[in-house]
Amino acid sequence: MSGGVYGGDEVGALVFDIGSFSIRAGYAGEDCPKADFPTSLGAHVEEEGPAEMGSEQENTSGRSFYLDTTALHVPRAGVELISPLKNGMIEEWEGFQAIMDHVYSKHIKSEPSLHPVLMSEAPWNSRANREKLTELMFEHYNIPAFFLCKTAVLTAFANGRATGLVLDSGATHTTAIPVHDGYVLQQGIVKSPLAGDFITMQCREMFQEMNIEIIPPYMIASKEAVREGASPIWTKKDKIPPVTKSWHTYMCNEVIQDFQASVLQVSDSPYDEQVAAQMPTLHYEMPSGYNGDYGAERLRIPEGLFDPSNVKGLSGNTMLGVGHVVTTSIGMCDIDIRPGLYGSVIVTGGNTLLQGFTERLNRELSQKAPPSMRLKLIASSSSMERRFSPWIGGSILASLGTFQQMWISKQEYDEGGKQSVERKCP
Amino acid sequence: MLVQRCLSVAAPAVPRPVEQVAHPCDFLCPFALQASGVTVEENVLTVFNDMKVRKAQPNEEERRKRKKAVLFCLSDDKKKIIMEEGREILQGEEGDPYLKFVKMLPPNDCRYALYDATYETKETKKEDLVFIFWAPEGAPLKSKMIYASSKDAIKKKFTGIKHEWQVNGLDDIKDRKTLGEKLGGSSVITLEGKPLCD
Repeated sequence: MSGGVYGGDEVGALVFDIGSFSIRAGYAGEDCPKADFPTSLGAHVEEEGPAEMGSEQENTSGRSFYLDTTALHVPRAGVELISPLKNGMIEEWEGFQAIMDHVYSKHIKSEPSLHPVLMSEAPWNSRANREKLTELMFEHYNIPAFFLCKTAVLTAFANGRATGLVLDSGATHTTAIPVHDGYVLQQGIVKSPLAGDFITMQCREMFQEMNIEIIPPYMIASKEAVREGASPIWTKKDKIPPVTKSWHTYMCNEVIQDFQASVLQVSDSPYDEQVAAQMPTLHYEMPSGYNGDYGAERLRIPEGLFDPSNVKGLSGNTMLGVGHVVTTSIGMCDIDIRPGLYGSVIVTGGNTLLQGFTERLNRELSQKAPPSMRLKLIASSSSMERRFSPWIGGSILASLGTFQQMWISKQEYDEGGKQSVERKCP
Repeated sequence: MLVQRCLSVAAPAVPRPVEQVAHPCDFLCPFALQASGVTVEENVLTVFNDMKVRKAQPNEEERRKRKKAVLFCLSDDKKKIIMEEGREILQGEEGDPYLKFVKMLPPNDCRYALYDATYETKETKKEDLVFIFWAPEGAPLKSKMIYASSKDAIKKKFTGIKHEWQVNGLDDIKDRKTLGEKLGGSSVITLEGKPLCD
């Protein structure tokens, strides 16, 4: 095995977990990833003249990319915000390469050819996509060994389960993925777009109705303290370059995401106007200095996750609430394994960190599940574990001495081609 | 003479049906290996076969020395699944074997186990081997990851096991009723001679 070159068990493997919201990367065997930054990147098409100073990456198509937390937040003229992932799968390969180049040069600070790579993938990743990724890693980065592992499997293992239902609610999707004996049951996967980005959209509409303008920090030069509910008094930075709409929207969304994480709470029983009115209010101040108290809204907005029937702007409303996503998924699996799935519902993903999310899910499932079923929800109390569980799982797996025989080695790739990935990584 | 252990004590000549349920993955990827690369030591299989197969007319001594329950753990170098020394219960031991078995499980680490359950339904007395994967919430994350990703390795060696049970805490296992339901639904009335109460 090629990994042996680096000294016995110490293969110095790297682990990448690529989500639609953020990327986690680091050394196998460590407790947490070295890098954790947004997946979205700024792309700029050079029109003419020499490349702007300080641009992160350059490509044949003449685009420069701005990525990682710091570079992404600098306002620049004409930089569009793009995401290399669509539906959890890599779609924009040039952008993806920019991310990989960046991780290698700025975070790992080492040569790709020295480290085997374990990467997580969406459970529904297509064969063409996996093969293309394998090809890229071996041909372009010249890595010594590669392995692909499904996020849901890593999460289940990290929670001490070979069988269980992984409910992953992230930025773009809420997904239920049945895992049986360490394998994903593809036919039972259920997806719903009701997730973090949906809540952000709902918040944005609420602010529009309340006539509150969202001002991202990049525009603000100074601000003054104002009374509760009063219009903010702030001065705009001069010399802001003409930024694109997509970039500005992303910056606004970040403001809303902070509001989401600090203020919102999932009601523990179905939303009731009267109960919500009793809700203790919470004070929140925007970057612009606007501040106010939030009461019933705190419960009303996240309610859509569990009960989409009253959400405005969802036409037809065929979407499934979180509880339904779980029960539908289990219902599509063989009747013999259903008890095992209900007995281990593993809750993961950044969106599940909303206050009250697991409590409400528990309540919904105990009502919807067949009465004879033993139901158990597993949610790590540490927010780090809940956000990073696939990465941590991959980190442990790739650091095992015995895992060396699992890798697709460079030699195997050279002999078997990109199809090796289908054979070695189920 | 050795015979395959039978389903029912009342009819000892009937071989236990070997149910080899195909793994969902067997159809998709015939070369699929389990995830961690951990292997299973030879004598684990010997112990399993000794528990599965038994003499048709054992004498008292042989009967008493048979294993009722055993634990398996990872070797210190984390490369192999081995039998855990001294962690076993014999058929001839005094006391309630189920209680003893539950006490034998380490509260803060994972294990695999084989348990030879004796139970009664309204019609008949039965014995069945149960394969247990024990991963309590309090176990270290690393241990959970290794045991969960290696479970398939040991399970594949235990051909013909009818009952597999993933247990993630004492709450799941301390009430013998849960195992009773696993073995035969609501028809089971006693386990190890003790009634299953509500």
